[in-house]
Amino acid sequence: MRTLRKFFYFRLAWNNIKRSRITYLPYMIATAVMSGVFLLIAGLLLSDSLTNTPSGRTATMMFGFGLVVYAIFTFMFMFYINNFLIKRRKKEFGLYGILGLDKRNIGRVLLWENFFVIGGGILCGIAIALVFGRLLFLALIKLIHAVPGSSFSIAPVAYALMLGLFFAVYVVTSIVNLIRIHIASPIALLSSEKRGETDKKGILPLSILGLVLLIGAYYFAWTVDIPGLAIGVFFPLAIVVIIATYLLFLCGSIVVLRLLRLKKSLYYQPDHFVTISGMFHRMRQNARGLATICILSTMLLVTISGTLSLYLGREEMMQGMYPFDAQVYVPEDATTEQIVAYDSTLQALAAENNVTLSADASKLIYELEDGQEYAQNDYVWPDSVFVDVPTLIFFGRSFRMDVSGTEDDCLSFIQAIRDHYSESFSETPNLIVSDIFTARVDGYGLYGGLLFLGAFFAVLFLSVAVLILYFKQVTEGYEDKERFLILQQVGMDDQQVKKTINRQVLWVFFLPLAATALHMLFASKIMAHMLKVFQLNDWGLVLMTIGASLAVFALLYLGVYQLTARTYYRIVRR
Amino acid sequence: MALLQVKGLGKVYNTKLGMRQCVALKNVNFEVIEGEFVAIMGASGSGKTTLLNILASLDKPTSGDVLLDGKSFSSIPDRELSQFRRRHLGFVFQDFNLLDTFSLKDNILLPLVLMQTTVREMEERLMPIARQLSITSLLNKYPFEVSGGEKQRAAIARAVITDPRILLADEPTGALDSKASANLLEQFSDLNAIGKTILMVTHSAMAASYATRVLFISDGALFSQLYRGDETNREFFERIVSNLSVLGGADIA
Repeated sequence: MRTLRKFFYFRLAWNNIKRSRITYLPYMIATAVMSGVFLLIAGLLLSDSLTNTPSGRTATMMFGFGLVVYAIFTFMFMFYINNFLIKRRKKEFGLYGILGLDKRNIGRVLLWENFFVIGGGILCGIAIALVFGRLLFLALIKLIHAVPGSSFSIAPVAYALMLGLFFAVYVVTSIVNLIRIHIASPIALLSSEKRGETDKKGILPLSILGLVLLIGAYYFAWTVDIPGLAIGVFFPLAIVVIIATYLLFLCGSIVVLRLLRLKKSLYYQPDHFVTISGMFHRMRQNARGLATICILSTMLLVTISGTLSLYLGREEMMQGMYPFDAQVYVPEDATTEQIVAYDSTLQALAAENNVTLSADASKLIYELEDGQEYAQNDYVWPDSVFVDVPTLIFFGRSFRMDVSGTEDDCLSFIQAIRDHYSESFSETPNLIVSDIFTARVDGYGLYGGLLFLGAFFAVLFLSVAVLILYFKQVTEGYEDKERFLILQQVGMDDQQVKKTINRQVLWVFFLPLAATALHMLFASKIMAHMLKVFQLNDWGLVLMTIGASLAVFALLYLGVYQLTARTYYRIVRR
Repeated sequence: MALLQVKGLGKVYNTKLGMRQCVALKNVNFEVIEGEFVAIMGASGSGKTTLLNILASLDKPTSGDVLLDGKSFSSIPDRELSQFRRRHLGFVFQDFNLLDTFSLKDNILLPLVLMQTTVREMEERLMPIARQLSITSLLNKYPFEVSGGEKQRAAIARAVITDPRILLADEPTGALDSKASANLLEQFSDLNAIGKTILMVTHSAMAASYATRVLFISDGALFSQLYRGDETNREFFERIVSNLSVLGGADIA
């Protein structure tokens, strides 16, 4: 008897999922994407092959940080989707209650359902990770210029971490669902779906506040021109923009629509009439979701264009940070004779390593104050800043030189300096050479890793945004289905109905995109100033990467629009 | 000439696999003269909703034709059907079918807006109708803020604001309590008194007793009809009920 009962809940849960797959499938996909990407990052983080790459350590550290952020984000998002789905099903639970299933029984069905969906999602996620893991690993290796021959495997610990995270998700969402079922009475559950909405008060001041905040933040972001300050204010500004976005989507949209409605000659036009009213309804219900999509896409674009700018601009940054290819410091107590002698040691080392050295004095302009010019003839300045050495430049306790040769030879030349240093100065070689070649190698790890991480987060944000959009469309589809029918009965023809609904869907879709583009335009300047801290002074590059990532994003967005619009019409026309 | 002519109307539904056929209407003939208030009665499944849908041009008959003012429905191209519906027919539905995104006023104005009427004309037409149906004070409310009876009155206002040739009502009292139903039927009688032609489908003898003529439909065919003459509602109601018992169906309410 017991086994039969168990079987019953199991079956009921299974049937529920099959029946409402149009809403459960995305939940499952979300789980799959989230768990798959998590597994990938964790796998990369914990694999020996990455740690063994030259710049692996930097990348590992960043990935560790990224993983923590990702885990938190995953948790919150799964929580959000679960709530969204469970709210939609209240009516169904109320019905079960009235049919005689007690709350304990419903709870059991829910546990099974949740188990199926999350379990299935995780299985798909593992499959995704295994299929795409190798591909992504190859991309990463290329980005950070790691040694070839590294292989990819997902460490068992990564699986354990992923399973742990999603077990936590399962437990928490299940508890939330059970609590929801327990506190509500069947009648309350049954009637909770239809709830009216009235125009709220206080919308006008709030939207003015939102507008003021947004304009202020934009103005600040556009005019700030001190790199240090730019970094300091970026996050506060981002928060202000987030608040302003929510205010404007939630309240500003309603104010605008209300103004449009007041203009009767405009409002009472067949094209606008249904659209404006429909938008009212939609904005009241979806403003938060749309604002969230806008924020997510902005974050996505800031991340991807920022990391891409750093990656693409890394050579420029290196050139800025290292006007000379290499700089070799000498101990403070080095005598002029030792310094002059070291010049030839350096030349000898260079010859050994097949590189040639040169020194262009005009480059010192970077370091000298205005009006001072390097004068070769001044043998030793009173404060011993310059020492005239035979072939190179000695200034401020260090040799300056440009090194030409293959990248590998240059690197071994630098290593050779380190090795021979003590012979000349009897001092341990610690931080004595600062050079662009080592920096380049590190830079690949740092900026390549950042870009990779940025791409990961872009995928994450994008999938979250896509899923939110999808859920919105599905919900609206069910609501619009009725409206569609009524409009036809009242005498709107099929074409007109399709056109109006299309227009609304377009607005809902592209409002967040437009707002994102605007945010990005104003973010570009402050981002450029922030990147100056990294010696990357190139607003054009930042604008270009923003433009490129925005274009790619818009294309993807359009694809998603097409896909969900199709689902939407399928629901409406059924 | 009769306002509405129904000639040899038949409707056959094919089941999905085409194995079985379901005859919803067979050879239905009747006419409605301008200014009449006709009720069509029948039990569930008797074909009355199919009939109304065809009269509303929302569905097409498999045989026969419907003529409004002598114009055959089958002669109207699909493209122009919704325009035709908008101009000549008014609808009242069982579950009101008001759009929850519109205020009552906008719901009522919807057909006029679709016809691209000027704002001034809309306002001019709205006020007398709203007064007649006593919903003037409710115009700026939303459907979820008013009662079922009030919603149905708004739906009637929407149906008549275009001044249609004929008002079609599908179980208009189906979702209302008895008091709201009586109130609504009074409104129908009043509208009829000022010359509106009304055709109402119902299974309630009480609702039918407000009509000037009742057609009985059974198993997709016209069964019989009763004229009110100068009887009171009460007397007419008794007659409808006794006729129904002959028919052996429909509830008495």
